[in-house]
This record gives sequence, structure tokens and C-alpha cells, in this order.
Amino acid sequence: MEAKMFRSFVDYLRLCASYLRINMNAQLEYRGAFYSQVAAMFINDGAWVVFWLLFFTRFPVLHGWSLKDVMSLWAVTTAGFGIAFGLMGNGHRRFAVAIAQGELEIWMLHPRAVLPHFLLGSTIPSAWGDAAFGYVIYFGFVKPNVQQAAMFVVLSIVVAVVFVGFGILTGSLSFYLGNASTLSDQWRDISITFATYPPTLFDGKVKVLLFTVIPAGFISYLPVQSLRSMSIVDLLIAVAGAIGVLAAGVVAFYFGLRRYESGNLISMRE
Amino acid sequence: MTITKSASRYLWISYTAARSNLAYSSEVIYRCSFLAVILFIFLRLWKVVYAASGSDRVGGMTLPQMVWYLVVTEAIYLSAPRVASEVDEDVRTGRLAVHLIRPLSYAGGHLSRAMGDRVVRFAINLTVGSMLALALVGPIPITASGLVMFLVTLPAAFLLDFLGMFLIGLCAFWLESTSGLALIYTRTVMMFGGMFLPLAIYPALLQPVLKALPFASMLSAPGVMFVNPSLLLLKESILIQGAAVAVFMLMVGVVQFVAMQRLFSNGG
Amino acid sequence: MSRGVEIRELKKNFALKRWTGLRRTVTEVVAVDGISMDVPEGQAVAFIGPNGAGKSTTIKMLTGILHPTSGNISVLGFTPWRDRRRLAHCIGAVFGQRSQLWYHLPARDTFELLSRIYSLERSEFIRTRDVLIERFDLGSFMDTPVRKLSLGQRMRAEVAASLLHRPRVLFLDEPTIGLDVIARQELRDLICEWNRNDGTTIFLTSHDAGDIEHVAQRVVVINHGHVVVDDNVAAVRRKYLGAKILRVQFHEAPRPMVLEGVTMLHESGCEWELQIDTAITPVRVVTAAVLNAGSVADIAVENPPLEEVIARIYCESRKEVPT
Repeated sequence: MEAKMFRSFVDYLRLCASYLRINMNAQLEYRGAFYSQVAAMFINDGAWVVFWLLFFTRFPVLHGWSLKDVMSLWAVTTAGFGIAFGLMGNGHRRFAVAIAQGELEIWMLHPRAVLPHFLLGSTIPSAWGDAAFGYVIYFGFVKPNVQQAAMFVVLSIVVAVVFVGFGILTGSLSFYLGNASTLSDQWRDISITFATYPPTLFDGKVKVLLFTVIPAGFISYLPVQSLRSMSIVDLLIAVAGAIGVLAAGVVAFYFGLRRYESGNLISMRE
Repeated sequence: MTITKSASRYLWISYTAARSNLAYSSEVIYRCSFLAVILFIFLRLWKVVYAASGSDRVGGMTLPQMVWYLVVTEAIYLSAPRVASEVDEDVRTGRLAVHLIRPLSYAGGHLSRAMGDRVVRFAINLTVGSMLALALVGPIPITASGLVMFLVTLPAAFLLDFLGMFLIGLCAFWLESTSGLALIYTRTVMMFGGMFLPLAIYPALLQPVLKALPFASMLSAPGVMFVNPSLLLLKESILIQGAAVAVFMLMVGVVQFVAMQRLFSNGG
Repeated sequence: MSRGVEIRELKKNFALKRWTGLRRTVTEVVAVDGISMDVPEGQAVAFIGPNGAGKSTTIKMLTGILHPTSGNISVLGFTPWRDRRRLAHCIGAVFGQRSQLWYHLPARDTFELLSRIYSLERSEFIRTRDVLIERFDLGSFMDTPVRKLSLGQRMRAEVAASLLHRPRVLFLDEPTIGLDVIARQELRDLICEWNRNDGTTIFLTSHDAGDIEHVAQRVVVINHGHVVVDDNVAAVRRKYLGAKILRVQFHEAPRPMVLEGVTMLHESGCEWELQIDTAITPVRVVTAAVLNAGSVADIAVENPPLEEVIARIYCESRKEVPT
């Protein structure tokens, strides 16, 4: 049983590699546009570094958080985002639209589980800029030691899992609400915005919100917590949170897919 | 075409653009929810800063003034129309070639549409932002003359931003994609225009440089004028805005000229 | 295991939700209303019907995308919606409107990806691929980006791609749409060849009568959710496709012409539109008579549109006693 699971996991990894290769080939057909999008996102993220630099020049400490802490927050969040949607580009904005337009059906003709396969179908060029930024900032600016570096790499993957899971959750809204792309984009953008500010700004009531409806807590707070404390317990909590978000997304997706397959998706507004 | 005829034609373009903006309610809700989130987060940020600083003024402003400043700069920033991508598309589809014969009317058409878009969006953003600010920090003292001075800084601010975006769109003649450049531009405006942090907070060495750059005239000048109006500041702003507009218009003229040459030599 | 396709009393209802303001009403729409048929392995079936007749819904149930409301389906021994993934290894699909090939890359890259998606064994895949390249004549453009290919080349590559994993059933939805006469014939020949030589079962959906006549052995007409005609191509051709439309323009008013099997559909001054029942009078006889009727400026002979034929089939079958 375990051998079979291991084999299919390896098979899926090989599928990921094939999709990565074909996605990058497709992007590099227009390398000028690709590189400029990567660079632009890098600069976009850099603008926020400038902001925090200016801020911390004037106000050195923010409730126990220093510039390095905020940089770590940004680094792990952008790195996770970049890994998530560099590999699984369909998990971001395309998800809700594809469901609404019936694009999932093409994917259902293949001998693969729909969700993990569909996610691989495209890459988001600017995500590579985010990934590069995250790693450059962390290793260039925060300058970690070996343990911190290892922790960072692991956490960037954890954050990537959260992003994919949350992307699936918000995108699956289309199963229930028709073309929900603007709503799901909004939900995601707001959550990501919250995730890029130090959690010490928010008090108890808001924090509850940030671990439920607006899962910024799982996106960045738990990961950064384990990065600051370097504690394995915190890391495990962050991993559990990531798995929880992913599970929520997967459940929402498959319930929605069941509805779609029974043909109860069709609804019209008049 | 006589002046009045072309003026009324441009006004009609603005009006149509303005009206179409009111139709897209989901976009409005999106922008307003974003505005609410930013104000909420920054209020908490400033609360912490003010508490730690021990005084009730930071960078010359009280906490409520800081929040209202952010409302104004955000309202301006989020009201920007998509001029760069429209011009980019015109260049790539060849529509521009037709219009470049009468360059003034091409820019003029875009300007009227952009202003129509912008004024409506800005009004909505400002209204919603004001309601949020009132709920969060209450009102700040505003005089009628202060309000007038604030309004005086707006046209040039909008015009400057338009010219900047127009220039970026024209770069489509030479670049495979201008979306990256457009993003850099908006971020530069954000950071050097003092959207989140008033320029007074920036390091003292940078302040004169930043004030002279056109970006400050787009965001910081109207923002400060709303919160802390003063005649001296107004005179300064008008001078700088005027100079910036002149420089930008010159740049646009040059770039359009070069683009035209390239068009005629390459045959479109 | 190889029992082709078996469909028994297939039914599919959709719950159509409508919002008027804030109120919600739910109406039941019957998309498929009791379809039964058996398709033996290796047969080429043309599956036709007007839009909204239930064709695509049926095909979606055959491929496991939708669950039926009631009824049974067995495709190659599998129940499609239960064994979707295992069935997917044995079926292929080509949609004229939606391409499987990556647009900015050469077809070769998509072929490689497909070998990975279907977990094909490397040497087996290379052998099949090379056979397909040869028989579909793809060699000259395998390394050209798909966006630079003509539509005919693209469709050949598309059909070849769907055969890489050697499926036993192939679903083709409007494969020749937009193709010129030569490309269309080439593609039909290839599909025919694959059907006759390799025994691949073909499910063809098309609005093109030529596709049906050249590729299919059997025609199934669907309308309003059930089977209206299910017969071999020759019989259908004889009964329903035997009509031709002849349009002629004369230089001056022609002499009147009466022939058995010829109906005047439309007459105005120097123009005639005739309907010919080819079972009664062959086209060449009618053409000769028309040329004798006056000085001809322009003449054209066409098939009546398939939609019309199907509509007529449905009207006629309503009067016929069901067999």
C-alpha cells in the first residue's frame, strides 16, 4: 500500500517537472515580456522594502518588531507566494474563471485527479519575481545562519502550501456562486495585504479574524513566529495550519465538483 | 473645428467616461473594501507609533490628520485610470498611427476620458474614505478657504499623473511590454509621492529632492493641503506643479515626435 | 472487457435555477430523455442533432464528466463516472473549438507532456509517436510553434495527439470545422484509416454531412433528448440525404420545366431554386434539362443544410410508426 502511494507520489512529481518544463518553455518564447514581469514584481516588492526602511529609520521599533523582522515577514511571504504560483499558476486568478467557463471538463478527460493536475496548467511569470525577491531579501538582507536558512526554506514551502490551499478555497466559490472571480480576487488580495503587516499591530478580536475568515495568520504570522523563535513546536504548528487551509480548500473543491457533475451548477441571473 | 466645438467634444468624452464608471459597482466595492483595509491597518500602525513617540504630533500632524492625509492620498492613488495600457494597446494595434497625424487631438481625447474616469472615481473614493475616517478618528478642522486651496492643487496633480502614464504608454514603440514599466511608475509615485508616509517623515536629506520631483506634486501636495492648508504651501505647490507639467509636456512632445519619425521610417 | 459502448435508458435532468431580483425559482430541464443504444467496438458512429438536443450532455456522461439522473452506461466495461480515471486511459477526445496543443510551443512539446500525463512507457510512446508522425504527415512541422501552423496542420496534430495513448474509443467534436476542402478530406481519410485499420471506435459529432458520409458507418440522430434515427449511413443517405438543391440563374426568362422528383422551391424572373429527389431523378438528368430550359448564366448544386435535414427527419419520424 505504502509502495503504491510512494510510486504515485513520485509519478506526480514527475508530472510537476514536465509541467514546469513546458510552462517555462512557453514563457521563454516571449522572454522579454517574461523577464520584465519578473523584474517589475521584484521592484514592486522592493518598493515596500523602501517603505519599511524609511519607516524604521524614523521609528526604530514597532511593538518589539524591528526592520529585520518585517523583512523576514516579507521574505517568507513573497517566497511562498512565488513558489506556490510559479509552479501552480492555475491556483491563483485563473481558478475561479476556469470553473465558471467549464474549462475543468477538458482536465477531466485525462487519467489524473482533476485538482492536482489542473493546478499545474500554467505559471504566473511575476510569481518568479516574488520568489527571487523573497530569497534575495532573506539571504542578502537578513543574513541568516545555517539553521535559520534551513528553517526559511522549509517555511517558504509551508507558506506556498497555504497559498495554494487558500487559492483553491477562494476559487471554488465559482462552484457555488457562478463566476465568483472578482469576489475571490478581493478575498485573496485583502488577506495577502494583512499578511504583509506585523501581527503585533492587531489585538485579540482582530486576531481571531486573521485566523479564520482572513487567514493572514496562516499565511505569514505562524511561519514568521517559528522563524523568530526557531522552535520546532512553532514550526509544527505552522505546518498544521498550512495543512488545515489546504484541507479546507480541497474539501470545498470536491464538494463543488460533485455538484458540478450532477449538473446542478447551471444557474442564471435575469 | 472651433475651440468651443472641440472643447465640448472633449467634455462629452469626459462625461461618458464618468458615467460608465458609475455602472461598474463591483469595481467600486472592490476599491472601497481595499481602502477600508488600508485605513484600518494604518490606523493601528500610527496608533502604535504615536503612543511610542509620546507626543501628539508626528511629522507635524496629529493622528487624526495623519489618517485623513492617508484618505486623500489613497483616494487619489486608487482613482488612477488605465491610461498606460490603453495607449500601449493603441500603439500595438496600429490605432495610434492614424491618430498621430493630429497628435493634439489624440492626447486630448485620452486626457478627457482619463479625467472623466478619474474625477468620478476620486469623488467616490474620497466620500467612502471620509466616512471611514469619520468613524475611525472623527473629523479634523477644515475651513472653506482650505478646501478651495486643496481643490486648486488637484487638476495639476491629475494632469501630471496622466502625462506620466501617457509617456509610459508611448514606450510601447520600443518595448515588448510596458506593463512592467507601468508598475515601476505607480510604485515610484507611491513611494516618492508620499502616499503612506508624509514627506515630513522622510529623512531630512531626502526631503528637498523629493519635493522637487513631480511625484510629490501628485500625492503629497494635495494631501498636505487638505490637512494643513497654508498659502505659502499653495504658492510653492503651484510653482512646482507648473514646472513639472511643463517638463512633462515637453517630454511627451519629444517622445511623440521621435515615435512619429519611427513610424514613418518603418511604415507603421 | 471489450464490449464497446452500452447505453440503457439514459436520462439526465438539470435543475435550472433562475433569479428574478431576489426570488429564486427552480425548473427541471430534461436534457436527455431515455437513450438506449449499443455501439460495438470498432464502429464509427456519427452522433448528430441540433444544438441543445442533448448530444454534448450524452457525451459528457459517456466520458465520466457528468453523472446521469438514471440509467446505465458501460464503456469498455467501465462505468464512466465511477471509473473516470481508469476509463480516461482508454479514451481520447478532440474538440474542434478547444485545443489540447500548447499554442506558443511546437506540437512535439505537447506530445512529450501527454506521454507524462498518461504515464506512457518511454519506448512504447516513441514508437507510437513516430508512427503517428508518419501516418499523419506531421514531420515537416513538428518543431514549429502551433500558432504558426495552418488550421489543417493543427487539426492533424490535434487528432494525432489524441491517439498517442492508443485509446480504444475516440470522441471527435466538430473536427473539420473551418477547414478547407482538401484539409477536410485529408483529416477524414486519416480518421477513417485509424478506425478501419486499428479498430478504434469513433464517436463523431459534426454538422458537416460530408464528415458523416465519409467517416461514419452508422448515424444516430438525437433531438429533444432522445434517439430519433439510428441506422446505417447508406440507409440514412437514401432516405434523408437524397435531396439536393439546385440554384440556377438564366440570362433571360427560361422555358418552364417539369420533371418527376423535382420541386420548385423558389422562382423569380430569371432565377430558379429547385429541390431534387435523387432517388427518383439523378442530378445529371435535371442539370441537362435545366441547360435546355434556357441560356444559363450561373448554376450550383448543393446539399441542403443538415439542420434542415434533421428537422425534417424529426418531423417525419413523428409520423412514422416506431420500429
